[in-house]
Amino acid sequence: MRRLPWTSLIIIGAMIFMAVFAPVLTPHSPTDQTLSDKLKPPFWEEGGSTKYLLGTDIFGRDVLTRMFYGARVSLIVTALALSVGGGVGLLIGIVSGYVGGRLDSFLMRLVDAAFAFPAILFALLLAVTMGQGMKTLVIAISILLWAGFARVVRGEVLALKERDFVALAKVHGCSPARIMATHILPNVLNTFMVLVTLNIGVVIVAEASLSFLGAGIPPPTPSWGLMVAEGRGKITSAWWLSLIPGIAITMVVLAFNLFGDWLRDRLDPKLRQL
Amino acid sequence: MRRYIVQRLLQGVFLVLIVTTIVFFLGRLTGNPADMVLPEDASEEDRQEMIETLGLDGPVHTQFFIFMGNALQGDLGLSIRYRQPAAEVFFSRLPNTMKIVPATMIVALVLAIPLGILSALRRGSVTDRFSGAIAVLGIATPNFWLGILLIYLFSVQLGWLPSARMGGFTHYILPTITLGTFLVAGFMRLIRSSMLEILDSEFVKLARIKGLSEFKVIWKHCLRNALIPVLSLWGVFMGGLVTGAIVTETVFAWPGVGRLTYEAVIFRDFPLLQAVIIMDAILILFINLLVDILYAYVDPRIRYT
Amino acid sequence: MTHRGPFFGWLFSLLLTVFIWVPLPSAADQEGTLVIALDTLGGQTMDPILEGRAPHAHYQAPVFDALVGFNFEKGGIGPGVAERWELADDGQSWTFYLQKGLKWHNGDSLTAHDVKFSLERTMTKESLASRASALRRNVKKIEVIDDHTVQIFTNGVQVHFPASMSRAVFQEGQLMPKKYIEKVGVKEFRKNPVGSGPWKFVRSVQGDRIEYEAVDHPHWRGKPNFKKLVILLVPEESTRVAMVRTGEAAIASISPESLQEVEVAKLKVVSVPSTMQAVYQFWGAYRSEFAKSPIADKRVREALSLAIDRQSIIDHVMYGQASWPMPFATFGYSSDIDTARWQAWGKKALRYDPARAKQLLSEAGYPNGFDLNFANTALPGTPYMTQIGVAVADFWNKIGVKVKIKHYEWGAFRLLYRGDQKKLAGHTSMFRTAGRPVAAARYYGGFHSKGGHHLFGSKTDCPQRCQDFDNLHLSLVAEQDDAKRAQKTDKMLEMVADSWMAVPIIEGKGYWAVNPKKVGHFKPIPGRHEFGDVFERMPLPGQKAWP
Repeated sequence: MRRLPWTSLIIIGAMIFMAVFAPVLTPHSPTDQTLSDKLKPPFWEEGGSTKYLLGTDIFGRDVLTRMFYGARVSLIVTALALSVGGGVGLLIGIVSGYVGGRLDSFLMRLVDAAFAFPAILFALLLAVTMGQGMKTLVIAISILLWAGFARVVRGEVLALKERDFVALAKVHGCSPARIMATHILPNVLNTFMVLVTLNIGVVIVAEASLSFLGAGIPPPTPSWGLMVAEGRGKITSAWWLSLIPGIAITMVVLAFNLFGDWLRDRLDPKLRQL
Repeated sequence: MRRYIVQRLLQGVFLVLIVTTIVFFLGRLTGNPADMVLPEDASEEDRQEMIETLGLDGPVHTQFFIFMGNALQGDLGLSIRYRQPAAEVFFSRLPNTMKIVPATMIVALVLAIPLGILSALRRGSVTDRFSGAIAVLGIATPNFWLGILLIYLFSVQLGWLPSARMGGFTHYILPTITLGTFLVAGFMRLIRSSMLEILDSEFVKLARIKGLSEFKVIWKHCLRNALIPVLSLWGVFMGGLVTGAIVTETVFAWPGVGRLTYEAVIFRDFPLLQAVIIMDAILILFINLLVDILYAYVDPRIRYT
Repeated sequence: MTHRGPFFGWLFSLLLTVFIWVPLPSAADQEGTLVIALDTLGGQTMDPILEGRAPHAHYQAPVFDALVGFNFEKGGIGPGVAERWELADDGQSWTFYLQKGLKWHNGDSLTAHDVKFSLERTMTKESLASRASALRRNVKKIEVIDDHTVQIFTNGVQVHFPASMSRAVFQEGQLMPKKYIEKVGVKEFRKNPVGSGPWKFVRSVQGDRIEYEAVDHPHWRGKPNFKKLVILLVPEESTRVAMVRTGEAAIASISPESLQEVEVAKLKVVSVPSTMQAVYQFWGAYRSEFAKSPIADKRVREALSLAIDRQSIIDHVMYGQASWPMPFATFGYSSDIDTARWQAWGKKALRYDPARAKQLLSEAGYPNGFDLNFANTALPGTPYMTQIGVAVADFWNKIGVKVKIKHYEWGAFRLLYRGDQKKLAGHTSMFRTAGRPVAAARYYGGFHSKGGHHLFGSKTDCPQRCQDFDNLHLSLVAEQDDAKRAQKTDKMLEMVADSWMAVPIIEGKGYWAVNPKKVGHFKPIPGRHEFGDVFERMPLPGQKAWP
């Protein structure tokens, strides 16, 4: 058994802390501009000051402050997308696996379709239809996620269905809905939790890619992905704009993945996932 | 088996129909290509005339039936932007994508298989940890950013490699890495975890007791089984590749299908968008079917009913 | 305007011709390849009638000449294939006099028949030229007088007609070879286009590049110094900059955001002056339903302008590479206007005065601000508009206005202002006016009740100001007397400036990163962001040093 991944927990904790206490942690606003202070480097570089510890962006907004608030936005997007996408996937997976038959094969073909249809294009189409925004982003990423959840959960349910306690419940005259809710659901929750943890990284990276393609969180609201996308053209002249949020994304995704691995080893060692 | 294939093909046709319908109507909701052609101060009159020129007048459902009728005869319409048959535009770009995707897959497999096996055999060793870290880094770095960093480092700073565009062998290195990292990461983790499971299983223990050489044990018994999950999650990888291709082709100015699709969305080139999505869907469904058949071949436990 | 009389036009073109035909003393033989990386190649088609948008001036212009050309120094129009043109006394037709001895790339002579053919082809229903439908309405018939004279009869007086035949404005004046197209057919023409420009088409690889070869004889637009020209499509900006740094490309289009990066890398920046004006405007504010809304109050609209520190936007958002704006849709090269007067107006009226802004808000009854819906968008080719929009919204917030900003991708935004503008009425939004010499056309689109934006009133609901504008515009575009037309133009500008309904923010430029080791120093044409008419005058590296 692995040891608890402390480093990961610390990183994750730090991100959550930043997100929750953003307004307390910084005197600056994430969106107010001070154009005359634009593109100041971090304090340790020449020309930097302790007023802006990690420097400022093209509008003179404090990068550290935007990192704090960006953590908040990224976490909210992640939480919503995973609840919606993961939730739908969980539901479809359970129903499909338990009910079986035609419904099952119909739903699984839908899953195939979801895999065959590039979700990112859906996201783009949505962004140009509904306009960029949190809602669009969450729906788009949910579409990216649900099929994966549904497929894995269904697999679990297929195995569970044959177990004695389900047969017993049937004998006792429980309705299918009741069996799914009280007998199947609790038993797939472990798998679900592992999937959720492992997919957090997927969501954060997807959010960044969508920002790159112009379908992410609209400015001036900060998100880490948007910050990387906006700063990508300034690697020589203002490296801190993309490198800081970029490294933050990498570290957080790493942390969630290692934590997810640990959780999997503990809760559901047989689960195979990316 | 034959019945299964026929059934899957029929389902495929059905799926393509669904996908096409969704794209058709969603596309029409997002705006009109006439507006992308006309200057910003065009009058309503000019706009109406341009819509007629582009053949986009008439109610949407009528357009839909016309489109479906033509599509069934193999005519996917004219690309609005390029004024060429949409299918022609797609097929002129497909070979470019087909140069980079298989290259990426092969590189990914060549790297991932030995690394995955090694890290499973030497669980907890430096190799395991190192490749684990690489794997997660591959998943954890948005690939547009990775691509830009690679260009900056290897083209601008070191001057070793060309920064973009198609060309000789050196032009493939950076795009392949950019597109491939997440594949290497994904493959490696899958192979590692299934190898671990198999190495723990009864039949491997038996094989070892029988005194087979370690190489034979791994090669004959493990690898084949370890590849099964890679195949079973193929669909997920394909989805990732399409996304990756859009981003990678944009960053590296690679004139492939991914970039074409993105531009079709932005330009509201409906006929092209529909053609690309239909072709993409057919291609991916077909590949997935092949993989499933292969899957059945590799893993005899699967039965088709 | 250039129809002052044949003599001056003739003299001017004679001087120009002499100037260009006298070989440059240092001119080396044509050598090397000029590589340019662009963010878009549009439809990437070599048929002029199939490219509706600005990229035509990048990639079709090298091959095709236009009937009317540029004023290379000042911007705006100048002689082209037609060396001069004149308006008939009754105002109902324009006569164009072509240069003699021009040849198509296949050796055929370029004549007035080609002009007639080209215009008629541009006016067909098949044409995607953005002003094809306007031409169909405005042009009655085209008559060939002789091989070098063509007369175009218009519906009513069209004083601005020649401008629309120049690439300084649109693409409709591009000339195509009649004989060749009739011989080989349209399909073959699209594959192997023949033009009359200083560059011959070689090949086009869709989604990747177009290649050209210089003509080897002197051309009236200039004899190219480079032997070959390659235009690459590289959508990602950081990649384009990288390519210029490594020398894989000599020139790349950039946005102001990359200016600093380019300077740090010791590359040169070329900025084309007056290519656009970023503005914001109030949609549907004339409607009775908004009579009580703050944006219907002129004082509020003026206050919003006074709240914007334009210099700060120029210095910081645009990295110093932008100019103070003139009135709506006017530039240094605009025809019919008193540049000095209106520049002075801009300096004063568009000043930064937050105290006065707050005072005006109080007078209007909004001392604590109000809620303002602001739609932020960027038009194709000028992505930096979004950043200007974000900066403007922040200035408004600073005087207490609560700005609700929403971002729209251009195609989605375009949907909002068609028809009855239901979703946009009562909103403020970012917008743009492109750098073109004739303001009247842009004012029609913006303020005429039949225009696309109709900010003063619609066909069915046209209040006093809207009716006044319609009448003024109608008499302006038919005014044959230069002085009177200038007067009326002034009046039109005043009317719009006083309304504060569409307000200039900054005058933008076209930005390019240049590797000085790959191309010598060159000057762009003011107002024309694209380089299709500049390539032939770009010197070899070392032929002309960069300052």
